[in-house]
Amino acid sequence: MSTSLIILIIILLILVFMYNSLISKKNQVENIFGSVDAVLKKRYDLIPNIVVAVSKYMTHEKSLLQEITKLRAEANKPDISDAQKIHLDAKVSSALGSIMIAVENYPDLKANENVIHLQHTLNEVEEQISAARRAYNQAVTDYNNTIEMIPTNFMASYMKYTRKDVFEIVENERKNINVKEFFN
Amino acid sequence: MKDVSELTNFYYQKLFPTLEKLEDDRKTLRKKIIIFGVIFTLIMLIIALALKDFFDYIIFIYIALGTIMYKFLIKDYTHEFKQNIIKPLIHAIDNNLLYTHKKHISEHLFNHSDLFSTPDRLGGNDYVQGNIDDTNIEFSDIHAQRRHRNSKGRDSWSTIFKGLFIITEFNKNFTAQTVVLPDSAQSSFGNIIGNWLQSKNMARDELVKMDDSEFEKEFVVYSTDQIEARYILSHSLMKRLLTFKQKSSHPLHVSFIGSHIHLAIESNKDMFEPSIFSSLLDYKVAMEYVKTLHLAIGIVEELKLNQKIWSKR
Repeated sequence: MSTSLIILIIILLILVFMYNSLISKKNQVENIFGSVDAVLKKRYDLIPNIVVAVSKYMTHEKSLLQEITKLRAEANKPDISDAQKIHLDAKVSSALGSIMIAVENYPDLKANENVIHLQHTLNEVEEQISAARRAYNQAVTDYNNTIEMIPTNFMASYMKYTRKDVFEIVENERKNINVKEFFN
Repeated sequence: MKDVSELTNFYYQKLFPTLEKLEDDRKTLRKKIIIFGVIFTLIMLIIALALKDFFDYIIFIYIALGTIMYKFLIKDYTHEFKQNIIKPLIHAIDNNLLYTHKKHISEHLFNHSDLFSTPDRLGGNDYVQGNIDDTNIEFSDIHAQRRHRNSKGRDSWSTIFKGLFIITEFNKNFTAQTVVLPDSAQSSFGNIIGNWLQSKNMARDELVKMDDSEFEKEFVVYSTDQIEARYILSHSLMKRLLTFKQKSSHPLHVSFIGSHIHLAIESNKDMFEPSIFSSLLDYKVAMEYVKTLHLAIGIVEELKLNQKIWSKR
């Protein structure tokens, strides 16, 4: 009788442990996504300043500037899903990258103090976004591993936990971050 | 900054007259030490034979007295060597650097790095301080020890850290505390068990798994902030730290705390001491001085800490 009781307690403890580990992994993902969201917002807040600063000079890139303003409006809509946010982020990254490369063609712009300051700030925000994305991807990988590995997968499927998507780290992203060339 | 081969040239050409003189001093000193050593050992042996009951104490006195006498004998030679060889070498790398033979990184800064447990005794020497490419840097030899008291009340000392300790400004703003340590668990127990053990380290903050497999193999990262740890340890900085570790070929401990980066290179020896039993003109000996200095002062360039492309000014 007592042995079966001990076994029962052990099984119960293991179940509690598994349950708690699943919950903590899920919360970690949500928690870090919150931070990703915060830094993404920081960059969206920066966009109007960049557009104002460069639009006076940039005559050929009007469509690019319009596009980025549109993307920002889209991202600021309430109730967009996490997946949409991830998708929009990739688009904004590449559009901003193009604008910053275009700055190269305008010597006045390159020397403008306001623009230089914006570049520094953007550079930093981009690096923060990159860090947040990497942290998010790690949290998601841990979460996905737990819900797919034995024995936690049984409990995860019972709790209806499903795989989450990671941020695609675009190959040219590392180039975008590296705006060092602008200062040479 | 001069590279290693330029510095080696400087060592052999500019410093040659001084080296030759010091080399003569070294030979005389070596002879003196050997004669002293033999006589001292003989005397102690005779005393030991006469007072057999106090054997333990005599060994203790032999070691203690021997060390004191050795230090006394090499004192002048060491001073000459540091003033005439190490100091010019440092100035050859950068003229603005200040060198103080007897000072070391303060205990406060050592503890602030959060890399090691608080020492009971902290010593060191060869303190260098200055500004390279607009980046403050200071480093010195450090020997941190812990006291153990046995049941008889006798003290013994064990080493917490011995090697080169470097502190420089970091070029990004951050508030979290991030510590990068040599990875022993993962290499001895494999990925899964090693990772699990690392995550259970109660003395440290949260484990941060990095997305660079080579870096993960060499180091383990703990931080108070998962995101900021990755903000500091960008892909390029991880690569640079790996290269730096390979260059130094000793275990490397790094921490990012209070806008500074702390690097502890665990070489387990006092770095800029003059050689007594091998020639100062020996290429190997020369290379060690040059390489260590170049490594320490080159850190700013190596880790691109002079690249002020962030909003931190």
